[in-house]
Amino acid sequence: MVVSFFFRAEGSFLGRIEPEILSWVTIVGGFTLLLGVVSIVRVNYTAVKRKADGWGYKLATLISVFVIAIPAMLPTGWSDQFGRGDGSIYKWLFNYLDAPMMATMFAMLAFYIASAAFRAFRARNAEATLLLITAIIVMLWRVPMGEEFLLSIHPDIPGWINTYIMGGANLAVQRGIIIGAALGAAAMALRIMLGIERTYMGK
Amino acid sequence: MSLVEFLQIWIIAFFTLSLFSFLYKDNPFYKLAEHIFAGLSAGYYVGLIWESVILQQMIDPMFNNGKWWLVFPGILGVLMFSRFSKNYSWISRISLAFVMGTTAGIFLVSELHGKVLPQIQATMKSLDPSQGFAGFILALIIIVGVISTLIYFYFSKEHKGALGGVAKVGIWFIMISFGAHFGYTVMARISLLIGRVQFLIDDWGGSIVQLFS
Amino acid sequence: MGEVLAYIGLVIVGVFLLYKTFKTDDRRYIYLAVGIFVIFPFFIPLDIPVIVSPETQQLYDAVEALPDSSTVLLTFDYYASALPETEPMSRAALHHLFRKDCKVVTLTTIPLGGPSISEDVTREMAEIYGKEYGIDFVNLGYKANYVAVLKGMGSVIDIIYPTDNSGTPLSEIPMMKDIKNYSDIDFIYVVSDNGIVDYWMSIVNAQYQIEVGCGVTAVMAPKYYAYIGSGQMTGLLGGMKGAAEYERLIGKKDEATKGMGAQSLVHLFIIFSVLAGNIIFFFERRKRFNQAGGAR
Repeated sequence: MVVSFFFRAEGSFLGRIEPEILSWVTIVGGFTLLLGVVSIVRVNYTAVKRKADGWGYKLATLISVFVIAIPAMLPTGWSDQFGRGDGSIYKWLFNYLDAPMMATMFAMLAFYIASAAFRAFRARNAEATLLLITAIIVMLWRVPMGEEFLLSIHPDIPGWINTYIMGGANLAVQRGIIIGAALGAAAMALRIMLGIERTYMGK
Repeated sequence: MSLVEFLQIWIIAFFTLSLFSFLYKDNPFYKLAEHIFAGLSAGYYVGLIWESVILQQMIDPMFNNGKWWLVFPGILGVLMFSRFSKNYSWISRISLAFVMGTTAGIFLVSELHGKVLPQIQATMKSLDPSQGFAGFILALIIIVGVISTLIYFYFSKEHKGALGGVAKVGIWFIMISFGAHFGYTVMARISLLIGRVQFLIDDWGGSIVQLFS
Repeated sequence: MGEVLAYIGLVIVGVFLLYKTFKTDDRRYIYLAVGIFVIFPFFIPLDIPVIVSPETQQLYDAVEALPDSSTVLLTFDYYASALPETEPMSRAALHHLFRKDCKVVTLTTIPLGGPSISEDVTREMAEIYGKEYGIDFVNLGYKANYVAVLKGMGSVIDIIYPTDNSGTPLSEIPMMKDIKNYSDIDFIYVVSDNGIVDYWMSIVNAQYQIEVGCGVTAVMAPKYYAYIGSGQMTGLLGGMKGAAEYERLIGKKDEATKGMGAQSLVHLFIIFSVLAGNIIFFFERRKRFNQAGGAR
């Protein structure tokens, strides 16, 4: 991958081999996801077999896995309800059960963050006060009603927040983090390539 | 609204409210919904990978286009499952090494070429004299912020003396950025709740109104 | 007048529920308050104009500047969990792109939901504009390991995506005959709820010099100001507000704009909660300080 970056020659052996290897990686990546599913099935199956605490719920998980997976793997030629297309069991279960539940799970965080804001977001010292003031300013600025309020104080305030807080101090910190993390990732990549880093292999 | 649509909306509403019921206290409805959700999500992967990867990327090209060599990534993929065996789990390292090696090769270049260099370049370029006084102030904020943040995250030397002073400035910048992050996070979480409330009021509420009209 | 009274009532209820949370330490009161503040504007709407930020304007202008019939890659890199923030962005983008007769290639690097969402949303929007699958738009679907997908598409798309989402070989799709890799794509419009955006910048934008504009969830937006500042990213939509701004620019007030009333109210409630919490904290600390005889 490194060599092909410097000598990207279309039509050359290297030019042909690079996308081929990448497609292999995507295929192996797919199997990796299946590995996770097999792991979930194994854990839940063991719990159901041993009648562990809450085994009934784990049985519901197991049934759900198979109810959505098996029809999706059957050929669409047999029935329109198989496969992943319109009118399939797979799509119905996703649209009417899985997606709304996933959205609801994350929607619940709104309640938790409001509660945390009231109970734990305190100006205990100078740094925390700075964080709190910025948070309040940004919260006010990011909603139409708050923005109108800021405009009524001075017409340039929203612009200043965007330029100096978001595009100034915030940008600088994010840039520092991006540069630091990218240097770390590149160093790690080099360690992996040189065989120095082997922890991903469990060593 | 047909009967099927009506039932679909009520099924969504039932599971939505079952999950929300956890806010009051933990209960069997929540637990059931949570476990069904986990199962469906895992099962969704199976259907997707079966068609998108195994059929479309492997089986079809192998049998219809003669790309017999795609059997090799298939083997590498299957080898991953040796992790479940105590004696043969080492075999999965072959596949893992292949994925990690390729990803490391991409990252070594892209992290430096696509992140470090352009970000450093942009920081230096922000000191553009044509931007006037306001531009100079902004450039100063950015340069001081980037350097002090990097120094704050530099742990190889104790934060004392001048280094400690710069790191302290770094903390102030980080607090401003995290404050902005918090503000945005509140916005994100509320948006997700608005989405569910929109469904409950428009669709489910609409179906209730229709039921009584 | 009735609306004003209703909102005064809402404020009183909010303050009362905060007081109950403080007195009983039962967080369910504040949960109830959040619920009421979110629901309220759906019954008594708040119509506040949405002001467009420069980052949203930049993305809109970049798409607007594309010649008609350009080829645009639109990604659905998000899970169903982020739908309220990201789906309005995808819809607004499709309104804009189809209106300009752009050829739209969609794909997703997210396994859970992305393939189904991209298929449904794109087909629904295409129907509105009378666009035909395979001629005006194509859905490539999902492939695993996004880093390899993004890099591989730079050489040959059909090695990574031999078929579209439903299994039709790309060679049999008329629109894809002229789209072989990134060099045949004029603009990339990423809608995402996760860190994949970084790789669209560091791999695709940096190595293949294609303009990339992004719509991201609000949680992610502050980070990407760094890429806007470096000129690597061409425009940024931040969360539901960003989507509402884009809706305003294309003249289609939709779900995101509708949500702005509730968003405003809950934000104000949370700001009030933070301030109230800190005032209580301040007085409690002073009381403790006085009880300890003014010395720590």
